[in-house]
Amino acid sequence: MSYRRWIQFWGIGFVMPTLLFLAVFKYGPMFWAFELSLTSYDMVSSPRFVGADNYFALAADPIFRTTLLNTFVYIAGSTILTTTVALLLALAINTRVPGARQCMTVMFLTNLMPIIAVCLVWRFLLHPYGLVNQLLAPFGFGRIDWLTDPATAMPAIIVVTVWRFAPYFMVVFLAGLLALPEDYYEAAQLDGAGPLRRFWHITLPLLAPVLFFVVVVSALLSARIFLMPYLITGGGPGNATRVLSMLIYETGFSYMKMGQAAAISVVLFAIMMVFTVLQMRLFMRNEHIYA
Amino acid sequence: MRRQGTISRRGNAFRVKTVLRAIGRGHIGRGVGFALLAALTFLFVLPIVWMTTTSFQASEKMFQLTTEWIPSIWHPENYPNALSRAAFPRYFFNSTVVSVSVMLGNVVFCTLAGYGLAKFRFPGDRVVFLLILSTLMLPLEVTLVPTFLVIHKFDWLNTYQGIAGPLLIDAFGIFLMRQSIISIPSDYIEAARIDGAGELRILVQIILPQCIPVLSVLAVLSFRDSWDQFLWPLAIVSMDKFRTYPLGLIQFGEDYGNPPTEQMAIAVLATLPVFLLFALLQRWVNRGFGLSGLK
Repeated sequence: MSYRRWIQFWGIGFVMPTLLFLAVFKYGPMFWAFELSLTSYDMVSSPRFVGADNYFALAADPIFRTTLLNTFVYIAGSTILTTTVALLLALAINTRVPGARQCMTVMFLTNLMPIIAVCLVWRFLLHPYGLVNQLLAPFGFGRIDWLTDPATAMPAIIVVTVWRFAPYFMVVFLAGLLALPEDYYEAAQLDGAGPLRRFWHITLPLLAPVLFFVVVVSALLSARIFLMPYLITGGGPGNATRVLSMLIYETGFSYMKMGQAAAISVVLFAIMMVFTVLQMRLFMRNEHIYA
Repeated sequence: MRRQGTISRRGNAFRVKTVLRAIGRGHIGRGVGFALLAALTFLFVLPIVWMTTTSFQASEKMFQLTTEWIPSIWHPENYPNALSRAAFPRYFFNSTVVSVSVMLGNVVFCTLAGYGLAKFRFPGDRVVFLLILSTLMLPLEVTLVPTFLVIHKFDWLNTYQGIAGPLLIDAFGIFLMRQSIISIPSDYIEAARIDGAGELRILVQIILPQCIPVLSVLAVLSFRDSWDQFLWPLAIVSMDKFRTYPLGLIQFGEDYGNPPTEQMAIAVLATLPVFLLFALLQRWVNRGFGLSGLK
């Protein structure tokens, strides 16, 4: 074996455990999900081929349609708000006022707190007699039933999502801001450009790849959300906060309709694929910003 | 950003633009900026503070019209009471076994794969990398049903390897490691090869020491992700002795008569390990996130 071959062999060896893992736990299950989605399977009798029946059943199911719509609303709402809040927080930290770094560290703790604790705490905070209403009372708000009113339940869950994820993306934005070249700002300042114009014409364009990355990753995170609606609202009131991952779990493990659940998985997979393809394209075009 | 010393002499000091410019140049007291940021931070940590004080509160104080931030009577016995009502020590032990395994798995395998992809060229290397990145669209929430059936086939239901197995390698970790290792000059590796160092020795003695910041980030995030897992153990664990703490905590809340203050006590206990790990690795985590420029 030539020396170059020998080194190549090592490279493949380093990647091999991961490839095996992906075959067993990612790509294998993915193909299996496609296959299962064309069958009726309850784990007792063997799978029975039913063609596209599961998909037709989904298309006709009003609960599925509501759930799909909820998932889109949740993805859009939480992605837009999380990205905006994260960017604003990063800009605030980047002013380097005294104590900024400490504030960042403390805010980041919200991203480390176990998600189950987050859900339990916020369920109490959003209770009609909870802290949120107490804090809003001086501003003239009445007692709002955040989690039992169909109009406020989804916004409430989105707020919890922003609280949880914005500090993480704040750190990503901040790393992007710190990497921006300072001479642009000095030149703009000499030319008399104010902070708003500097943000709009220098910061934002230079930060665009990071911004895009944050949007895509945050959308991928929101698309797979499960615990927040499951625990905070239980999908209710009615079906107002039911999302696809909850429907997969209920269909597969409460009703034992594995084929139907696989069909919902394929739909969720298709949504996630859109964002992943976007991310790939971003990666191919901007490989340098990641390095 | 360097501040320019020129003072805006244009009048009309109350115009928004002027004020913003003054803030941008640091003329308006940095104290104001700090106060705003501190208020914002306070708003963010308020739920964590609430969780902590509530865990020491008497259960009847839970839903008063105004929150009592400092308990008039402290109830530290909420903790032992909560721990004794269900098998929480066992649940925490299970979670620890699983999460430490997942953390080690990610640290080891993501480093190997990240190094292989960053510094080796082999046929199909780019395709392999894209295949790995693509699995970001295949989280357990999506592949829940077939992965359950895989674990069922392996006869791994109600086992540690069943809970931890599908989480052992995360594409994001590989991405993180690859991007970090790519910036290490290849000359180091070449020089070591010429000196006759083996490939594993190069990885351990040359690459690893430079990856400590990013490895710390990976350790914290993968531990947290595994510590947070709920849906997956919910799907494959049915025996009480293999429950992880989130499953126990949900059951605890559903069982009639368990005070929510004790639920908060468990929530606090569950938060501590992640915060401790973060505190332990704090020195490196900031650098790993690319924040070393922040003073």
